[in-house]
Amino acid sequence: MPSTLHPLTSLTAAGCTAVITTAAGCWPLSLAVACAAAVLAARADVGRRVLAAAAAILLPLGLSLLMLHGLFFPEGRTVLAAWGPARVTAEGLAFALEAGTRTGACVLVLLLFSFTVSAPDLVAALAARGLPPQFGFVLASALTLLPAMAGRLEAIRAAQEARGLVVGGGVVSRLAAVRMQMVPLVLGLIEDSGSRAQALDARGFGSPGPRTAYRELADPPAHRRLRAVLLLLAGAAVALRLWTSWPDAGLL
Amino acid sequence: MTSTEPAAALGAPMTSTEPAAALGADAVLAARIGTFSFHGETAAALRDIEICVRPGTLTAVLGGSGSGKTTLGKLLAGWLRPGHSGTFTGSLAQAGEVLEFSGGHDDPRINPSAWSDRVGYVPQDAAAMLTTVRSTVAEELAFGLENRGIARPDMVRRVARVAELTGLAALLDRDPATLSGGELRRLAIACAVIQAPGVLVLDEPLASLDAAGIIQARNLIGRLTGAGTAVVVLSQEADGLARSASHWLVLDGGTATAVGPPRELIRSPELARTGTVIHAVTHTAVTPTPVAVRDSARQPAAVPALELEGVGFSFPRADGTGGEPLLRNLGLAVPPGGIVAITGRNGAGKSTLLRHLNGLLRPDTGDVRVSGTTIAGLPAGRVAASVGLLFQHPRDQLFERTVLREVSFGLRRLVGKDARAKAHEALDAVGLAGEAGVHPAELPASKQRLLALATVLARQPAVLALDEPTVGMDRHGLERLQHATAAAAARGVGVVMVTHDLAYARANTHRVLALDGGSLREL
Repeated sequence: MPSTLHPLTSLTAAGCTAVITTAAGCWPLSLAVACAAAVLAARADVGRRVLAAAAAILLPLGLSLLMLHGLFFPEGRTVLAAWGPARVTAEGLAFALEAGTRTGACVLVLLLFSFTVSAPDLVAALAARGLPPQFGFVLASALTLLPAMAGRLEAIRAAQEARGLVVGGGVVSRLAAVRMQMVPLVLGLIEDSGSRAQALDARGFGSPGPRTAYRELADPPAHRRLRAVLLLLAGAAVALRLWTSWPDAGLL
Repeated sequence: MTSTEPAAALGAPMTSTEPAAALGADAVLAARIGTFSFHGETAAALRDIEICVRPGTLTAVLGGSGSGKTTLGKLLAGWLRPGHSGTFTGSLAQAGEVLEFSGGHDDPRINPSAWSDRVGYVPQDAAAMLTTVRSTVAEELAFGLENRGIARPDMVRRVARVAELTGLAALLDRDPATLSGGELRRLAIACAVIQAPGVLVLDEPLASLDAAGIIQARNLIGRLTGAGTAVVVLSQEADGLARSASHWLVLDGGTATAVGPPRELIRSPELARTGTVIHAVTHTAVTPTPVAVRDSARQPAAVPALELEGVGFSFPRADGTGGEPLLRNLGLAVPPGGIVAITGRNGAGKSTLLRHLNGLLRPDTGDVRVSGTTIAGLPAGRVAASVGLLFQHPRDQLFERTVLREVSFGLRRLVGKDARAKAHEALDAVGLAGEAGVHPAELPASKQRLLALATVLARQPAVLALDEPTVGMDRHGLERLQHATAAAAARGVGVVMVTHDLAYARANTHRVLALDGGSLREL
């Protein structure tokens, strides 16, 4: 369900939350932000998709953090267990927890934004602020590309299955299936992009000069004030972080 | 007609005696094409063509698959730009301005945006015209106006006017992704019309539309010519729309072989040589019923090749509950060797029904049996051994480097050492024996469809299910399709095809059924 917020407001909110969480560097806050994002995603009916995408990004990352910092953290003093050169230290685990929750919070917040923002609204809002329309188009295409490709792959899979191609459980069989599906997918995308480029040219997309917008977006003063406050808060969080870290950095 | 004739000849095609000054007198668009070849290709895609269109007229460019219709249409409309897309010698003229091209670097440059203000083009695949990032029909329509900086009040007025003209007024708030084939075609035409071009080039505007969609598209074309727009239709069918044209240009092998009024060309040897499908005016069958089909009509056998009993199906709603039933208590029995056509309006559920035949979709109620055995519980990939289903987009099914490898894929596991012979046999059946070494992507669309058919035929299924097999097929392709399906039926294969082409269905099948209200009735 697309968000009813002005797209720049939700973009600012997502960006500032990510900045503040990163600047704060405090795992309870990161965890709270991640949970809040998950709850909001569930309320917007995109919970499953956001969590699936987040899992695809965060699981490998979390594992590598555990491997790197959980087992090999040179500054670690409190050794909990050791196998040869690998030592599980309390400090290493704390660092992995810190980094993992921080990244998790940022990823969830940004995924929540990309799954709930209305791409046409975002493009209209950016164009109204003087951003080149080509940029807006590329952004909107990127936001709609994954769902479009998923739909297309599904059609290709069904078409090939109907031809009698059965994907087995083995790795080799799955890799062969990927090759079979990629050929029509890539050829199709290339052909589509060729004719779409011609169509866009003919519809004046590449022409210079001023543009107008058909879509009208309400941007209430309250939203503008909220964005200003969020940007101020993010700036303050970064400044505070720099200020508190600076003396330490200077001593090193 | 040669490339050295003066551009003046454009004023009246095939009469090359008029002086150059006569060119733009009453023509909105004229072209003299000496040669046009794509970069990197030695053979010319187009040569020796002259065309001239006048305001408020309908011109039909007729020819078979691969005859150069689309290339000509795109060249006229600036979608293929001389110098940018290929090398062009000849001239293009619009609104009295003549551009001469010699194929050199100092040729004039065409600005596609400015050119499309005067000559609009709508591709056969209407979806290719759309941006894919607009959320409503109104915004999609306004895209071309926004890019030209038209003030919003003016834009709103023009969107409303064009929507009224194209019958889209009630759909302005709809998401373009949810439109039917006919609605999408009208939206694509509207996107070109909103720029108020004097000429509109439409590539196969009636392809894959149902009867209602065809009537709406034809009415729209009538309104456009009535309002003074010159319409050029590119078609591989001499159908009712083409026959209502004032002028025909017959294309064969990239060159114009005949030009003139329809009544002079309809029985011309030039038209007969092309792959153009020639319908009778009444839209009844003109292809004589092949003897092989009638001979293979069998009495219902004890065990039908395909049997559907009490099939009911509805797509689940977003909230997980069952939606409105698309199929209701549907029954169908196809004997071995029987050929059944299923027709119906866009969105009636025809493709959904076909997907039940091989298990890609499972019925909510009822049963599907192939050669007497239920397919319930079998994965679609396994059912495919006995039910071959061809989709509307053949290229989705193709992935090999050569035509022969495509047909041979997985065959050895199925038929052992006979695989090579079976592959050649299947290619022969669809007339692709001479193109075994060609890359599938290089085949024209109609041959890709035949190749996809061959990949299924080679596996010798008991049932053949074809989704709109005649779309995009020229006469040669249709003949191959007809022979291949008749030969399969003669071997005892049960054939089910979904089609809008009633003339083809009546001529080439044993039964024609309509899917209406979720069940089948005889037509």
